[in-house]
Order: sequence, then C-alpha cells, then structure tokens
Amino acid sequence: MLRALPIRTRRRTVVLAAAVLAAVLVVVLVTAWPGGGGDSDATTVDGNAGAVLYPAGHRPVAPGFTGTTLTGSMLSSSSYRGQVVVLNFWGSWCVPCREEASTLAAVAAKYRPSGVSFLGVDVRDTTASAQAFVNQFHVGYPSVGDPGSVITADFSDVVPIAATPTTLVIDRTGHIAGAVFGTVTYSDLTAILAKVTAKGG
Amino acid sequence: MTDIRAPETDPFDPAAERDDPPRPGPRSPGTGVFGISDWLKWAWRQLTSMRIALVLLFLLALGSVPGSILPQEGTDAPGVQQYFTAHPDLASWLNRLGLFNVFAAPWFAAIYLLLFASLIGCVIPRTFRLAGSARTLPPRAPRHLLRLPRSAEYVTALPPADAAEVAARVLSGHGFRLRRPPAGDGAEGGHWVSAEKGYLREAGNLLFHLALHGVLVSVALGGLFGYKADRLLVQGQTFADTATALDEFHPGRFVTDADLARFTMTLDKFTVSYISSGEQAGQPSSFDARVTYTGQPGTGQTGRVRTSNLDVNKPVSIDGAKVYLIGHGYAPVFKVTDARGQVVYNQATPFIASAGGNFLSEGVVKVQGAQPEQLGFTGVFVPTAVNVNGTLESVFPAADNPVVSLIGYAGNLGMNSGPPQSVYQLDTSAMKRLTANPQLLHPGQSMKLPGGQGTITFTGYVPWISLAITHDPGQLPALICGMAALGGLLLSFMIRRRRVFVRARSGPEGVGTGTGTTVVQVGGLARTDASGGFEAEFATLAAELRSAHERAVPAAQPVPPQPEGE
Repeated sequence: MLRALPIRTRRRTVVLAAAVLAAVLVVVLVTAWPGGGGDSDATTVDGNAGAVLYPAGHRPVAPGFTGTTLTGSMLSSSSYRGQVVVLNFWGSWCVPCREEASTLAAVAAKYRPSGVSFLGVDVRDTTASAQAFVNQFHVGYPSVGDPGSVITADFSDVVPIAATPTTLVIDRTGHIAGAVFGTVTYSDLTAILAKVTAKGG
Repeated sequence: MTDIRAPETDPFDPAAERDDPPRPGPRSPGTGVFGISDWLKWAWRQLTSMRIALVLLFLLALGSVPGSILPQEGTDAPGVQQYFTAHPDLASWLNRLGLFNVFAAPWFAAIYLLLFASLIGCVIPRTFRLAGSARTLPPRAPRHLLRLPRSAEYVTALPPADAAEVAARVLSGHGFRLRRPPAGDGAEGGHWVSAEKGYLREAGNLLFHLALHGVLVSVALGGLFGYKADRLLVQGQTFADTATALDEFHPGRFVTDADLARFTMTLDKFTVSYISSGEQAGQPSSFDARVTYTGQPGTGQTGRVRTSNLDVNKPVSIDGAKVYLIGHGYAPVFKVTDARGQVVYNQATPFIASAGGNFLSEGVVKVQGAQPEQLGFTGVFVPTAVNVNGTLESVFPAADNPVVSLIGYAGNLGMNSGPPQSVYQLDTSAMKRLTANPQLLHPGQSMKLPGGQGTITFTGYVPWISLAITHDPGQLPALICGMAALGGLLLSFMIRRRRVFVRARSGPEGVGTGTGTTVVQVGGLARTDASGGFEAEFATLAAELRSAHERAVPAAQPVPPQPEGE
C-alpha cells in the first residue's frame, strides 16, 4: 500500500534526517560554546577580563567570617565594618601569589593613609610555610588561616573564586565592589580602589 | 500506520526484523541521474545503517587508545611536558593531531557525534516501525488452513456463522486479538476468525528501543550536567567542596563552580588492614575511612554534623554528589628549619606509592620559605624497610618499620615565577645537591644539612586518602533505561507471535439442506516454533474449540466427532 506513496516515505525520511541533524547541531553548538561566562552586571577594568568592578546596586554582600591569624589571634570580619577592605586569597605554595606579593605590599602602603585595610586569607596552607612567606615578602597585614578552604567556599557562593590568587575589594557597606581573578597588577588594583574609595563609591 | 519501510507491515515477514530494512529511493550512486539530494539521502542511509554504526563504535574504541597510552593534558599535564622534552619532534606532531587531549579533539568529537546521529537515526525509525507492528490486526484468514504448519478439521452441526462466532469467543477468552470479516462480506469471504497473540513481543521490542533512546539521553544528561572532582585528604585535614580546595575538577558543559555539592568534610581516621601471612600476604583486607561531614559548608557550620565510614565502592551521598574512596597512601610529616633557625616548613607531605610495591612511596618536599636559599628534598618512604644487599626495600605495606630516605637540594625551586608546578616533582635545574648519598631517617630523627643550611626532621607519618566526588544526573535514568532495555529484550526473546485461524464452511452434504453439518478448519502458525511449545498450545486450543462447538450445539442434534485432519 505504501509502495504506492514513495514521496510520502521519502519526505518522512528527509524530515527525520533534518530533525536528527538539527539535534546534532544543537549538541555541537552546546559543546563548542565557551563554558563559564562572567557576571553580565560586572564591568572589566582596563579591558582586563580578570579584573572587574561591580556597579552599585549589583554588589554581592561579603560573607562574614572569623578565623585564626598566622600569629594565633582570633580575627573577625565584623571588626572591619565601615572600612574599605582588600581581601586577598593566597597560599605560600602558589606561584602567582609569590609574584603578586610585592605589588600587594606596595598598594597596601599607598592606600593605608586612605583608611583601606588589607587582609589575607591563607588557603590550603600551614602556619609554618605561610609565616615564612610573610617574613620573606614583608607582608605587613594579617592573614586568616583557611586550610580547609571553608572561608573561601563561603565567598565562592557570591563571586566565582576558581583559584588562588583572587583579590576582592569590599566597600564601606560590606559589599564586594570589585575583584581581580588571578595575579593583581598595580594598575588594576589601584583603578578599582580609586573608584571604591572615592566619595560615595 | 505509515511506515518508513514501504511494504505492508507484517511481523512475520523476516524483513521486518532486519536491522537494515530496504528503503525506497535510489540504491546507490552511479545508477542514473544522481543529484545532490540523492547523495544526501544516500549518505543518510549509509550513516544510519547498522554497519556504519558498528564501524563508528569500533573507531571510538580505537580513538580512545592513544588517550590511555599517551599522557593527557587534563589528567597529566606534567607528563605531557615531559613527553615534549623527551621527543620534541614527535610530540609537536602528536599535539597537532590532538593526541595529548584526545577526548577534546575535533576528530574524536566527530566520531561520537556521528555515532550519536547514527544510533538515533537507526533507532527512531525502528521505534515507529515496531509501534506500527504492535498495533496491526492479524491478516485475513488464508483460504486453505490445512496447509498451515498446524491444522485441525472437524465438523459441527452449528451453522457456519454461529461456529465462527463461538470460535471467536473462545479465542478472545484466551487473550487473542481478533479480526473478523467485515460486515456484508460474509457470503463471499466465508465465515472466518483470525486471531493473534504474543503482541507483548512487539511491546518488548518497542520497550527495548525506547529504553535505548533513554540511555542515550541519560548519557548526554550526565555529560552536560554532571561533574567529577578529585581531592587528596590527609588524616586530620578538612576541606570544603569548592574549586580552590579540589585537586582536579572536570565539570560538564553546563556546570560551573557554583554547582558543586555543598559540604565540608574532615578525615578523622583512616585504617587499612592487610593480610599478614599466606599467599595473599600484603593484600588489603579492609579499608575504613571515618569522615565527619556537614552538608552546609562555610564557617557557619549550621548543618547537621554526620559521620560516615567510607569504604571502596561504598560512597557517601551528600547534596546530590557521591564521594568515593579511590586511593590511599602515606604522608610523612617533616619539619624544616632554615639557616636562620626559623621553622619554615612543618606539615604532612603526601607521598605516592611507586612501582616498587608494598607502598614504597615517593614524594618531594619544597621549602619555598627557606632563606637564604630555598630547600628541596626528594624522598622515598618505606613502610616496612628491610635492607636487601644494600638497597632499601619495602616488604610489607603496613608501616611496621617506617623509614624515609632523603636527598637534599638547595638553590632556586623555580617557584617565584612561571607556570604552576606539580607538587610531586622537584625542578632541580637551578639547585645544587647537598649530599652525595640519600640519608635514612627513622621517625623522630633529624638530619643536619651541610653548610649550615638548616635541619630536616622526620617527625612521623599519617595516612591520606584520595576521594572522587562525582555528580551524574544521568546515572539513575541510565540504570532504569538499561534495565528496561534488558527487560524488553527478554520479552522479545521469550514471547512468540502466534496466529490461529478458524474457517467454518457448510459441509458438502449439507449444501442446500440448511440443517446439515459445518466443516470447521483450524490452522495455526508461530514464528520460531522450532523449540516447540506452540504445538501443544495449538492442540489444546483446537480441542477446546471443538468441545466448545459441541457444547454450543443444541442437545437434540448430537453430531458424532470426526477424526482430526492434519
């Protein structure tokens, strides 16, 4: 019976083939599409995709934390309330962290008079190695130990911290205003800080 | 039901069961005018043929071979670098062919996408065909039933129409699907019943094919929305399941760091027992990794704290992810003081079991913070050390006589700039060796480095475990579909399609009298009846039909039974 309708079956084959090819095309596109993707609200700093500024109103709230510093005292994020804070996630084992250490020290010195506090989160590290790092690079600000990445996990919920180093700039209201994913450069960090420390920033 | 396959659907037609049904359209290139659309159709037919699917499957297997022979970017980046230094010319060619990242290579993607298209293009038409086949009515009763493989003949006093009616009732009672002559066709076509049973076979076949679709979709689901991560955890350590805390993270296409399961886990204690004697001495007899975890990561720790004992193939499920114990080893603890007397290193350092056997493990210690020069050590941890002709061997995997053997280096570790390094390799190109011979240390022993470079102490050792954290949303659907496919396959193997036809004609002596006898012919056939079963079923059915016909005849008109024909 259907032998008499070859056109119909042929059309059916073509439709089926087209549907399957379309499905394959979707899979190809999906596979070829670059993964991840940044926050569309954030703007980059000086065209550097690793350095972003979050516009006011789209700044995620920085999670609070408490921890033990490398020198053994307790430190709580609440004692930094009302200040601009640069939070640097680092580890003594991390090559780019060693590369950026002197840059961070220089920016910290420059912005200390402006009331900007620097604070480190020492990720997957031990006190002995971290303290050696601090001594070697003359890091003048405290660091909270985060051997289990527990503090980092909290921050990862609001900003995509994929690796160390990551540097966050927290504004006076406790919101994350900017971030540098990867090694900081002097110009990126100072550009973000200039915006955040400006009046009303 | 229209069908891809042109001939009228007949499940008894062997072609219906073929994998490669003949399809309409031009057979092959080279016959007559062959346009672009014909080429495309020809290519499509080729692609969806079982033969090409098998070829693609074979290519897929073949293509993954270099992935297991050569070091791969994703899993062994340092290995790739080593290969490049060892064979620079060959490596650049291999790299051009994508052989260092096989599973992301375009040609590999081409194979599996073609295979995917081939399978779908092959399975979808079959699904339609089977669905059609499962819904068809049995064919009209053949004219000569006695020619069928099984047949019986007897006479009854019932008129042909009534006899057919009774037969239909009996067959229907046995779960047969019936087909009767259309109304008004009685005089010409005679009185007959076509009955067919065993449609579950087609249902099974259909289930198998639908389940195959399900398996394909599940696998795709797992690839797009699943992830796999690894983490090495030293006893006493804690980690939060976040990107920075993972050693390896292989997310699916639609997975980001934010999709990781939310938990924090601590390894409280890991014990492994070994068989101490006999042929299997040194084989592990049991593993027990006691972990504490909370489903709420972060400092809040508001989640309920739970403990679990991980064992091989006994994962713990947390927030949609499964955490598997996949390996273990020793992490010797070292304390290093530098030339100034400062403690610059004090931690458990995971060593990896080497080919030496019995958990003879190798590792490196990198002391970046040592001043004035950085220090590095390559080490071997021997759990049960025995001196065999001057070389140290491990004779048992448990730490019964632990010893470390260290070679010290001083200089530049190469960690102040450049690409990230493997924690298991020491780049000694800018360092000088401190001692000619390896130094042996027992737990608690120290070694003074020459030239006042400092001291290293082997303070003890702790076990470590490696964990695989996986999330595969396609796993359960794939399992269900796989089981359904198996069930469908069993159904289609175990159930036979079988047909029974009944024809009732007025007997020769009854012609014209109106009250004479009716000849009833019963015929039956089954597909793949070789192993029997249908023969007995048919005999029972024929006997039942006959007795039903006898019972239906009014008592006043008994009809003597006639011998059965064959």
